[in-house]
Amino acid sequence: MTMPTDLGIIDLGMGFPYASVEEKKAAYDFFKPLLRDRESRDVFEFPAEYMFKDAPDVVGADVDPVAWTVAKMDEFGVEQAMVGLDERGIRAKQEHPGRFHLMAVVDPNRGLDAIRDLRAAKDEHDVVAAMCFPSGTFPQVGIADAQMYPIYMRCVELGIPICINGGVVGPRMPSWPQFVEQFDTVLYDFPELTMVMMHGGEPWTALAVKLMLKWPGLHYMTSAFAPKHYPADIIRYANTRGSEKIMFCGYFPAGLTLERQMSELPNVPFHDDVWPKFLRTNAQRVFKLPGGEPAIEGNPS
Amino acid sequence: MTMPDDIGIIDTMIGFPHADMAATYSFITKQTRDVQSKEEFEFPAEYMFKDVPDKHLKGVPDPIAVTVAEMDRWGIAQGMIGVGGKDRQGEEAIERFPGRFIASAAADPNQGMEGIRAIRRLKDEQDIRAVGLFPSGTFPQVAINDPQMYPIYATCAELGIAVFCCAGVPGPRLKMAPQRVELIDQVMYDFPELTFVTRHGCEPWEDLAIKLMLKWPGLHYSTSAFAPKHYPKAIVDYANTRGADKIIYAGYFPMGLSLERIATELKDVGFKDHVWPKFLRDNARRVLGLDAVD
Repeated sequence: MTMPTDLGIIDLGMGFPYASVEEKKAAYDFFKPLLRDRESRDVFEFPAEYMFKDAPDVVGADVDPVAWTVAKMDEFGVEQAMVGLDERGIRAKQEHPGRFHLMAVVDPNRGLDAIRDLRAAKDEHDVVAAMCFPSGTFPQVGIADAQMYPIYMRCVELGIPICINGGVVGPRMPSWPQFVEQFDTVLYDFPELTMVMMHGGEPWTALAVKLMLKWPGLHYMTSAFAPKHYPADIIRYANTRGSEKIMFCGYFPAGLTLERQMSELPNVPFHDDVWPKFLRTNAQRVFKLPGGEPAIEGNPS
Repeated sequence: MTMPDDIGIIDTMIGFPHADMAATYSFITKQTRDVQSKEEFEFPAEYMFKDVPDKHLKGVPDPIAVTVAEMDRWGIAQGMIGVGGKDRQGEEAIERFPGRFIASAAADPNQGMEGIRAIRRLKDEQDIRAVGLFPSGTFPQVAINDPQMYPIYATCAELGIAVFCCAGVPGPRLKMAPQRVELIDQVMYDFPELTFVTRHGCEPWEDLAIKLMLKWPGLHYSTSAFAPKHYPKAIVDYANTRGADKIIYAGYFPMGLSLERIATELKDVGFKDHVWPKFLRDNARRVLGLDAVD
């Protein structure tokens, strides 16, 4: 039950800090049209901040966001991280070989352009995953909606997983696009698809486990959850039949510090054989990451 | 108002006499529930047709030659047929009669990614110009705007090939819901690059079909399975006014109509002079991308 150290953790959800509060707010503008309550519209810097104690992601304009994140990764034993496909992510991957993997955000409202861009992202940047935030698209598009289907088709064609939020959405907008039951339909229609549920699946974690048992292609990563809040259903499943299915994904710096995540992680009661799978090898297999030896040699920074 | 001769008609729906009609239509009769469809009809929609050519042509030694002879007799230069079948009949016809046939592929949304791969393969191997869909006739049924259809639309749009899709109340006694014409609106919204051609009449929502054709540049209408004397009046009027580029000739030989009947009745359809060549040939050439080839 002891979490190993020096394993070379792979964090499937890493980001870079903002230079200012304004820049941070602008990053969430894409779903602002969906928000109606006063706090979300006028008060919060981060639309789901009512759930988080301390969102540590604004640094000065003089700080290199890539170097800042790499230093934090080194400090807390995160060897590799998946980041979004944008200017900073591309630079991070170039400047720190082996440390970063890219994931392309897809918007089903963009129709054919979305699937054309996804192919280009694979060809040009070797993205290891697509990612979609169903409740955050504008207009909203459900996991099992028709508009999602060409994206699933393209993920199968490219041989990459789709990471997709499941469960009640944090920002105060409708949750129906992420109702967990919809995964069942998608996996029936695309048995070759690899799906990775993000952001908890709550309160339908028991359903998430049933569906993971049923569908070989369905996985779960722990994004946006502090380890002390990992759902009991998920931990139990990882310790029994689901050790190949559950993967570590943080939320730094968007909502959680690495310090908090790494100090709480050892208290998660995973079995000994589960830890390396959870922290590293499941991610290598599911996302087809370069495996084998840790990429860090000497002092990476 | 006179139909031209010798224009070189393109028939966007033609086939070959079927050796075994029961087997051919078993995909429909496994879903129909009424006794007539199951036990009496050889062709599941035959209650609507006076004289089904397929019935007389059963067992002809060379079905491909029969169709070509009929085409020659009635001035049909090219016919769109299906390829990708187990019997490779379409492929054989294309090989034996170069230039006379245009390849299309029937798609079944229930096949998922296998179906998508088949479309891409048939585009590469047979240069298909269209994919055919029969929403009420797939098992289970899949509606025009169902999520399972969307990868097919996306693939056709990417490949630059048209979708030919049955719309309106289906003839066979299957549920009509998957083919309601209103469902096309959402598909055209989601796929503005898609060329979508309705088949089998759109009745009784032909007025809605016209509204949608006016709205969506990619939407067209083909006259398959309708004897010319039954072409909906609204469709003929539309072709004569704003829709001259939208209405495309399609027959139904040998499934339900003889070319003789079609050719005989066609002359009485009140198309204006400038509409005839578009209806009989040019619209099909444009929609199927044939202009670029020659």
